[in-house]
Amino acid sequence: MNTQHLLATLVLSGICIADVYGSDKDVYADFPITTKGYTGKAKTSVKYTGQTARHVIHNALKKLSSAGNGTANPGLKAQLLAYYEGKEAGRAIIDPITNGKFIVKQTIIDELSKGKNLSEKVYKGIISGWPGNMTGPEVLAFMIDKASMTEKGYDPLTGYDYTQLISKFIMGAVFYNQSIDNYLDEKLGPQKKPNNEPYKKGAAYTGKEHVWDEAFGYFGTPAHTMKLTAKDVYDIAKKKPEALIKADYNKDGVIDLKTEMAYGHAYYAAGFDKKGKTNYLHAITQAFLDGRNLIADAKGEALTDVQRGQLKAYADVIATHWEKVIAEAIFKYAGSTYKDLQKLKTVVENNGDAVAVFRDYAKHWSEMKGFALTLQTGKKNLGETAVALNRLAGFSPVLLGNTQISGVDANGDYTQKTSDSLEAYMLHMLKIQKLMVDEFSIQARVNDVLSSLDGLAKKLSSGHSAEND
Amino acid sequence: MITDLITDLLNTFFNPEKRVFVGYLLSATLLALSWLMWIERQGLQASLKKIFSLSIWWSTSAKADYKIFFINKMVLILLSPLLITQLTVATLIFYQWHEWFPSRPQWFVSWPDWLIAVMFTSSYFLLDDFMRFYVHRLLHQWSLLWAFHKVHHTAQTLTPFTVFRTHPVELVIFSLRSIFVQALAIGSFVFFVGEKVDLITVLGANAIIFVFNLLGSNIRHSHIAIHYWKPLEKIFISPAQHQIHHSLKACHHNKNYGVVLAVWDYFTGTHHHSEKNQLLVFGVNEPSVEPDQLHSLWGMYGVPVSAFFVSLNNIVKKMLDFEGKREKIPRFSFVFSDSNE
Ligand SMILES: [Zn+2]
Ligand SMILES: [Zn+2]
Repeated sequence: MNTQHLLATLVLSGICIADVYGSDKDVYADFPITTKGYTGKAKTSVKYTGQTARHVIHNALKKLSSAGNGTANPGLKAQLLAYYEGKEAGRAIIDPITNGKFIVKQTIIDELSKGKNLSEKVYKGIISGWPGNMTGPEVLAFMIDKASMTEKGYDPLTGYDYTQLISKFIMGAVFYNQSIDNYLDEKLGPQKKPNNEPYKKGAAYTGKEHVWDEAFGYFGTPAHTMKLTAKDVYDIAKKKPEALIKADYNKDGVIDLKTEMAYGHAYYAAGFDKKGKTNYLHAITQAFLDGRNLIADAKGEALTDVQRGQLKAYADVIATHWEKVIAEAIFKYAGSTYKDLQKLKTVVENNGDAVAVFRDYAKHWSEMKGFALTLQTGKKNLGETAVALNRLAGFSPVLLGNTQISGVDANGDYTQKTSDSLEAYMLHMLKIQKLMVDEFSIQARVNDVLSSLDGLAKKLSSGHSAEND
Repeated sequence: MITDLITDLLNTFFNPEKRVFVGYLLSATLLALSWLMWIERQGLQASLKKIFSLSIWWSTSAKADYKIFFINKMVLILLSPLLITQLTVATLIFYQWHEWFPSRPQWFVSWPDWLIAVMFTSSYFLLDDFMRFYVHRLLHQWSLLWAFHKVHHTAQTLTPFTVFRTHPVELVIFSLRSIFVQALAIGSFVFFVGEKVDLITVLGANAIIFVFNLLGSNIRHSHIAIHYWKPLEKIFISPAQHQIHHSLKACHHNKNYGVVLAVWDYFTGTHHHSEKNQLLVFGVNEPSVEPDQLHSLWGMYGVPVSAFFVSLNNIVKKMLDFEGKREKIPRFSFVFSDSNE
């Protein structure tokens, strides 16, 4: 083989590799290894399996928290804590699991990442929207304890649906906070985790590559999201058997939880986007891809100030859209809560059976509250907006005797106080919706109490006002 | 701005929500023709000549209508973004009801959707028609407002385009009236009746207004004096009755303020029937109106503003006069109050 031939082969194969790589720039996978002097066996620098493991732990907690039988249940509590703060090997994946044709590849958490828990990653600040003046980890430990004693995660005496509260608060205090306030904020600084050094000794990825990957992992969207519609991603998170073909990007017939599954916030973003008015999921994913491409293009050199500035601009796009997704969720559940209150009032007035309606009310309220707490775990201090939101929502839903939870006593029991009426509380839900629109300019606005105002205003238009008589 | 203007102009003629939508102009022409030929027993040629008479459509007064029509379109394009939207006001009204009736009573829950739509459409129509009547009345009765509304009345020939002969200040007043009426109707109905509330529309236009326009609303600003059977004129204003509103005769002044319904005039004493073989001269007869300024741009845009300040000055002077007499203190002479004496 002469030199010319060899050269031609090299150039050609180079083009081929570049081509394959180029066509997949909209998939969050296979970014090259740029770490100088890497000697290991890895073929790509992309890695966020720890985040995937935490999503799966969150899903497990959601299932387990609704498994209570209504009495103190130390066994269940121990199980919940094993996922929340334990690191033991062999913990089973409780969700997502195979559903008919929707076949899941992994069955134990260690197959994703070993020794992961949530408690070490919870936002450490005081959670002012929750009674008892507790820190993030304290709130979760407290909720888990309470949930283990309820029947199916629901406490009819307080109107708390712990399954919803725990799940939504984890999404904020762990996923959103870690991604937005940690990785996409402090860790983008010039000194922290520089790009010209491996993240840690011997790693296949640089500091900035891994920081970015971890932020992406917490968002919870499939690596090939740009090739999917919002509805596809929504169906994948719902484990619909017909979604397998969409989820299974590498065509091996199974869902790889590491790259092909949707979790947490990505699921909610997809849920709003599939209504057609917003584009949160793809805007966020695209910004993650753009940022990751920028880092890959730096080829293992330290990022310049200009590059870091651009990266921060991508981080801003992610943060703004992500915040809107949370605000949309608060809006949606405040709307459901409003409608539940309307029903509850009618049932009570007609001496009907309020139990089922109250159950819905508690669930929707807890979803709204969980997201309201989540909204306050981002990087920016929401100031007045947070105060208004917390006051409007209160520490609990207004209960049938016009009382509300006001705090937690020394024994860890709730205290109650007289509150606004159920009727006045409806207005609070309306004001929460308005607050979300005014402060976050949200567009999807699911369950808009005022939607018919909008529709009628459009129909009437300002028609013939310019005409004299 | 230019494209805005063009779309706006097209919209004026091709949107059935507008008074001079081509369909309504056509129906008005056919109605006028039928009236002249069958009721007034005139020949086809004579009727057509009367309807399309150049001395009306191309009079100085009519040409002024066309000018003001174009200029106001531009004014509105600049003005409309500044105006608050009816949705904002409707939301405020909805909130206010919620404060007053926190339990949000829901009425007519068992009514079928169509009946609720009928109720909303007719209530909105009644409220809107009343407010048009009422604001029109104020425009005539308050000298401060008459200064602006006079522009509409200085028209000496009437064509369908005379509806656009309006001072910009009046445009603002009309817009605010519409915003208020729509917001009140929407905010209140959605609050008390719920999500079933709907407006009945035909080709996208309010059904009642559609019928009103199809039945020849454009003839009220014309020289074809279509009148109704007397008892009907107590309920609906006929074209001839609105022409009386534009008449120079003293006994016709301040009559027939209504738009669709005559009942508001009837119950407030400003109702006037059409007259047999009525032959009217249109315009206003006031010393303050210079004949050669009637249809000039200055006469239509500038004079009303100065008339407004003259009238404001008079009002202030009267108030000071009154205060002075009551307090028995020697009257002060204000610099600005001397200029007009
Ligand atoms: Zn008129
Ligand atoms: Zn008038």
